[in-house]
Amino acid sequence: METLLNPSKTPNLFIPKTHLFKPYFRHSNFNPQPHSSFNRRPVSITITCKVKTSQGRKNDGKNISKKIVLTDSAPELSNEEIKAKPKGGGKAWGVIKKFPKRVLAILSNLPLAIGEMFTVAGLMALGTAIDQGESPEYYFQKYPEENPIFGFFTWRWVLTLGFDHMFSSPVFLGTLILLGTSLMACTYTTQIPLVKVARRWSFLQSADSIRKQEFSDTLPQASVSDLGVILMGAGYEVFLKGPSLYAFKGLAGRFAPIGVHLAMLLIMAGGTLSATGSFRGSVTVPQGLNFVMGDVLGPTGFLSTPTEAFNTEVHVNKFYMDYYDSGEVSQFHTDLSLFDMNGKEVMRKTLSVNDPLRYGGITIYQTDWSFSALQILKDGEGPFNLAMAPLTINGDKKLFGTFLPVGDTDSSNVKGISMLARDLQSIVLYDKQGKFAGVRRPNSKLPIEIDGTKIVIVDAIGSSGLDLKTDPGVPAVYAGFGALMLTTCISYLSHAQVPEIVESSISKKPDSIGG
Amino acid sequence: MIFSTLEHILTHISFSVVSIVITIHFLTLFLLVDEVVGLYDSSEKGMIVTFFCITGLLVTRWIYSGHFPLSDLYESLIFLSWGFSLIHMVSYFKFKKRKNNLSAITAPSAIFTQGFATSGLLTKMHQSAILAPALQSQWLMMHVSMMVLGYAALLCGSLLSVALLVITFRKAIKIIGENNNFAFSFGKIQYMNERSNVLLNTYFLSSKNYYRYQLTQQLDRWSYRIISLGFIFLTIGILSGAVWANEAWGSYWNWDPKETWAFITWTVFAIYFHTRTNTNLEGVNSALVASMGFLIIWICYFGVNLLGIGLHSYGSFTLN
Repeated sequence: METLLNPSKTPNLFIPKTHLFKPYFRHSNFNPQPHSSFNRRPVSITITCKVKTSQGRKNDGKNISKKIVLTDSAPELSNEEIKAKPKGGGKAWGVIKKFPKRVLAILSNLPLAIGEMFTVAGLMALGTAIDQGESPEYYFQKYPEENPIFGFFTWRWVLTLGFDHMFSSPVFLGTLILLGTSLMACTYTTQIPLVKVARRWSFLQSADSIRKQEFSDTLPQASVSDLGVILMGAGYEVFLKGPSLYAFKGLAGRFAPIGVHLAMLLIMAGGTLSATGSFRGSVTVPQGLNFVMGDVLGPTGFLSTPTEAFNTEVHVNKFYMDYYDSGEVSQFHTDLSLFDMNGKEVMRKTLSVNDPLRYGGITIYQTDWSFSALQILKDGEGPFNLAMAPLTINGDKKLFGTFLPVGDTDSSNVKGISMLARDLQSIVLYDKQGKFAGVRRPNSKLPIEIDGTKIVIVDAIGSSGLDLKTDPGVPAVYAGFGALMLTTCISYLSHAQVPEIVESSISKKPDSIGG
Repeated sequence: MIFSTLEHILTHISFSVVSIVITIHFLTLFLLVDEVVGLYDSSEKGMIVTFFCITGLLVTRWIYSGHFPLSDLYESLIFLSWGFSLIHMVSYFKFKKRKNNLSAITAPSAIFTQGFATSGLLTKMHQSAILAPALQSQWLMMHVSMMVLGYAALLCGSLLSVALLVITFRKAIKIIGENNNFAFSFGKIQYMNERSNVLLNTYFLSSKNYYRYQLTQQLDRWSYRIISLGFIFLTIGILSGAVWANEAWGSYWNWDPKETWAFITWTVFAIYFHTRTNTNLEGVNSALVASMGFLIIWICYFGVNLLGIGLHSYGSFTLN
């Protein structure tokens, strides 16, 4: 078994990726390396193992032996690397063969990854600093060429690099994609091999080989099974095979960074699917009217494919609001009925903010509201429906108004009664001169007489602002969220402990424990 | 009326107790008397009192407003200060009531946030406001409490990193002659570390480098621990916020300024963890990243609210 430990004695062995093992400690982001502990003794771990790789099988199925020293000082590894050049093929072939590996090595480079993260953060910050989605004229005015910000930043930068729509600009998406490939490269080249190492250990069977390891100790009077029990008690996972024992701690800490990276990739993949395969649309429907889902929904990307559920017709049965005692709106509700193509009601639900309706992959959200019409009786006649128009007088507050002509409606100078409302609760009425006449609530049946006209406000009809969407990416994104939370917690819990590996075997007395 | 009086009383008790605690800290620093151990204990008791006062304050607000007290900036500031005192308490009890350098960070942080929240600038926001329709969800509790706890932990951790930087750079510029200003902050934390005053006296003479090394190592480890914890809270907070947004606004990510800045914060602390995996970049470099994170948290937590833009404008300033 001596050859297991000394790969240099088998010169025709091809040792792939050996150099890639080395940057492990630079890359696993929740690395529990004992950098700053006083009370813990710094452990440098030597794992001796036997790994079967695909290249190994190519080479006549020989088992390839490697010694992987998980410390930064591993001079003999670099020598191996030089020896282990592929024999067959010309120079060009070697370059082509090496190219993907070189790309991987570059992508999994830690400073590059850090640089990418900084770039993403910087671009996002810039995206919040520059107003998004305005017209080019706005940027001409805000970032004029005569007076550039910091001496160079003008509208040319904004519009050329697409910073007016930062979060869909090629620069930003490109950086994200680069970051994603770095994540993949890092996971592939440095994190996964390490788990393989952890899983495919080999049992050292000669006492000499154990004693060669850096932290080994000799216990003359101990038995292997006793040691196993002690180690298990100390939180190690213990494996016994014949006279040999293998124990390790903190494997979760090795899996967790991979998990974090994979979860990030899953979220990114889900986000891409959302961006390319969604349908979105919003509609403002007055109470009592219908719409077909497919008419509202518009595709967002080339993967968007409509489903059967798009033929569903939606009827707004009722739209109403809840109010606080102070008169402010506490909640919006819309009572919806869904009908399939045969006119059969398939679903009925009252949705509100934070409580969307889900049907056949389509989600309907309550997002907005509007005042559709005011139903009034004029001198006992009617009811008339007066359409309400939104007025934007002071800021974003909702204000709606309508006008009821009184008297001679054919003359050029029509006068009448103005009605204003902030919500569906109370209507403010003004007379012909524009003077305040009174406030009435709908449904109160209380008539108001203005300039000789008797008006009863019968009902206030609101319209419900609904957002519709289908998003095939949500399951992937949610799975990624779950995985990310879980793996972040695991890596926190496990980086409290240093991964330690205990291997031991008996050949003859005395026992040796290699650490 | 009873509730608002109670709230008023609790606010003032907690504020004055934290002030006393800080004064005790300063006294023990300048006087260096032998009875400091007793004083130190009393300051710890003060922090416990503060913790319970702020808890009472939040519970009172919860009861009389009828919703989880995290709907505006004032409440979230109180909650932040509660988070600081919580971290203080946990570290105090977990480490067997030993002195640790964390208390030098948490207690002043608690007083500053508490003071700012109760200061005149925000008087208008003291009244508990009604809850907007979008906030009426169980997710409010999960999302906002996780975010604010995350902010509290990350602020503590990055402040420790700032302390580390101060110490390291003091070494670099070597102003040994007039170390009144710098020695103050250093000596303060140093004092927290070392039980005996003897060490403090001899520290400048012989064993200077050794203790400095030990202190930076401790600061480094502490900030790493606290930041890791805060990072978990931040992750859970952002993700639960995304799930909530998918329920309320129709999309799990809107590139809203607050969201974006939370993500920037997350990215910066992810960079912090990555710098720590490299032994060459560890220490000062990771501390630099963490100090950057400190500024970014404040932009995320306050700056975005100051502008009052985007979908998260519930807690914006209304100074009119």
